[in-house]
Amino acid sequence: MDQKTTTNTPESATGRPEAREAAVAEAPAAAAKLIVSTSPHFMAEESIPKIMHTVVMALMPAAAASVYFFGWRALFLIIVCVASCLATEYAFQRIRRKPIKIHDGSAVITGMLLAMTLPAGFPVYGAVLGSVFAIGAGKELFGGLGYNIFNPALLGRAFLMATYPVLTTTWVEPRTVEKAVDAVTAATPIALWKFEGSMDFNLLDMFLGNTAGSLGETSALAIIIGGLYLRYKGYINWKLPLGYLGAIAAFSAIFWLANPAKYPNPLFHLFAGGAMLGAWFMVTDMVTSPTTSLGQWIFVIAAGLMAVVIRIFGGLPEGVMYSILFMNAFVPLLNKHTRPRVFGAVKAGKG
Amino acid sequence: MPQDRSLFYEFKKGLWQDIPPFRLLLGLCPALAVSNSAINGLSMGLATLFVLFTSNMVVSLIRRTISAKVRIPAYVVVIATLVTVTDIFLAAVFPAISKALGPYIPLIVANCIILGRAEAFAQKNPLLPTAMDTLGIGLGFTMSLTLMGVIREVLGFGSVFGVKLLGSWFEPWIVMILPAGAFLVLGALVALVGWISSRKAAREAAAAEPASH
Amino acid sequence: MNGVTKMLLNLIIIGALSGAVLSGVFTAADPMIKANKEQELREAVFYVLPEARDFVKVEKTVGQEKLVVYKGINENGEPVGMAFKADGNGFQANIGLMVGLDLDYLKLKGIEVLDQLETPGLGDRIRDESFKDQFKGLEVKPRIEYIKFRKPEKPNQIQAITGATISSEAVIKNINRAVEKVVANFPREEMMKVVDGHRPAQAVEGQDAAR
Repeated sequence: MDQKTTTNTPESATGRPEAREAAVAEAPAAAAKLIVSTSPHFMAEESIPKIMHTVVMALMPAAAASVYFFGWRALFLIIVCVASCLATEYAFQRIRRKPIKIHDGSAVITGMLLAMTLPAGFPVYGAVLGSVFAIGAGKELFGGLGYNIFNPALLGRAFLMATYPVLTTTWVEPRTVEKAVDAVTAATPIALWKFEGSMDFNLLDMFLGNTAGSLGETSALAIIIGGLYLRYKGYINWKLPLGYLGAIAAFSAIFWLANPAKYPNPLFHLFAGGAMLGAWFMVTDMVTSPTTSLGQWIFVIAAGLMAVVIRIFGGLPEGVMYSILFMNAFVPLLNKHTRPRVFGAVKAGKG
Repeated sequence: MPQDRSLFYEFKKGLWQDIPPFRLLLGLCPALAVSNSAINGLSMGLATLFVLFTSNMVVSLIRRTISAKVRIPAYVVVIATLVTVTDIFLAAVFPAISKALGPYIPLIVANCIILGRAEAFAQKNPLLPTAMDTLGIGLGFTMSLTLMGVIREVLGFGSVFGVKLLGSWFEPWIVMILPAGAFLVLGALVALVGWISSRKAAREAAAAEPASH
Repeated sequence: MNGVTKMLLNLIIIGALSGAVLSGVFTAADPMIKANKEQELREAVFYVLPEARDFVKVEKTVGQEKLVVYKGINENGEPVGMAFKADGNGFQANIGLMVGLDLDYLKLKGIEVLDQLETPGLGDRIRDESFKDQFKGLEVKPRIEYIKFRKPEKPNQIQAITGATISSEAVIKNINRAVEKVVANFPREEMMKVVDGHRPAQAVEGQDAAR
């Protein structure tokens, strides 16, 4: 407990002593090479709003794509989620008599990410409820930023999935697609494949985002642009997003090679559902991903395997959300057991 | 020791101070499993109350005649008998409730509140305090399960005891009827009860020492 | 009295008393429990065979399996359809159904859900009238199928519940399997026979009058 008092940055991700020690070990190397790994940079007080605002910028292409494909309703949902997340964070910090830190931007990211995972027709009260749960139960109840075990946005989405299972999976066609006359609801490519065995998909449409799906998930292109910007800024390392996507591609390739008539190819799995958004913006969440190199590899490979297994064998069409949430739970364990043995010996983290 | 306390105290303590699922964290299995509607929570609570009360009265009655070495098997036989009676009674008279509660009625036999009260209270106390103790604890348990059932039913179905409470504008929170909802509601209530008691304790401490600060 | 004797006596007396109480309660409650089960069965059979006023139980043993059908009959003892149970795995646990089959062995007359533990709000909507009604007049040949998001196009199709495809599919699988078994083992001629004398006529009439 007294370890906490040695740092005057309450927002640092140092609730877990092992994360802090690893941070101390890696910080000089990170600074020298301008490579910012996960949790460590929470050591520097100034960097939190900066990082968060960069992430918000990185989400802009996906947000713009969602407005292009699903109309102003998409922007409206994003605003509702962001506003509710900020309000919830303010309310919790106020009630707990903690310093108000809603300006650090983390709640904005949670709100944006949550909105990105919702269908365009999702009701406003649902979006508010999900935001309150994401920030309230997902972050503040654990003690605020840096102390949460699970990615708050994904937790909010999981809660909504269990609360409104029909609304969260009722998709609308993007307005760029001519609507089929008798179709009441549209199906995502992955649901079409899973429940109707349809292998009739257009990879280009899926890459651009011209399919039914959640707001910010459909356009792989926009997400990749944002992800590359984050990488350019040095806020994520290659290992997490590419490892996760690589694991999904590798495991789905096994099935595809075994039976190409039944299982879609790896590109389908990469562009479908939430794989891209999850890989670039949720797997890379600094608070809820492992700090060590080995831990990160285990994290992304296991999560990628789980996503593919859920997609192919599970009762649900999409497995990205649960795969990341499930592996989030193992992060403290991974950090503990993959920690370098000697803290003093600085080993430069490879990007 | 318990003998010094008033009968009313024995009754009252089960309703707040020792309320089983929220303060003692006992009887969590039924609290989680069959609190998905108000009627299920209430009937499970009453069934448990019946078994708790009758079995502990028997334990209190035979407390001097039973040999200490075989008391646990003897209590278990008494409890199991009364649980089976309850199960058969519900199947015969309230088949719908019996079907809804399913295997959780037979599982009352494993509810640690019952053997716990027998060991901690009934085997050391005469009939009247035992009656007060088990009625209090049983009522506290029934209230807790009913409260959880009401919360989950209102949010999960928009109704209470099957009566529609919220209009069609309300989109039910399915999660509340799922097992996950039981954990969410239980956690929230444990936190709430803990928060209220700690505030009460703080107020009492402040009242006892008005001159401080 | 030494310790061991006392222990033995304690346990013997408690055991005997427990046995006495239980047998007493059971004797008193057993007829009521049986009546409840019978009532449940009757309600289910009459639900899936609306024209039936009574039914006759027909049993057959095929290999290890005991097959039971309830032949629904009208006021005059003429058969109106067959009801039988269809059990099988659902999403989480067993789904128990009562299925009503027309005597043409082609169309269903209705289904009723007896037992289910599907997800509340999703899978448990198989109990909704709107879902069950889809099976009235549904053709079982070659087999029942489901379709998603759209209105059924073929006479052997139903629309699956949105978000609960697995439960909908489980219901269909159970029905297909049970229908197949009944059709194979209960020849039509046998079922077409008019039933008389199986039940006292006034009982049938009395029930009719009560309606």
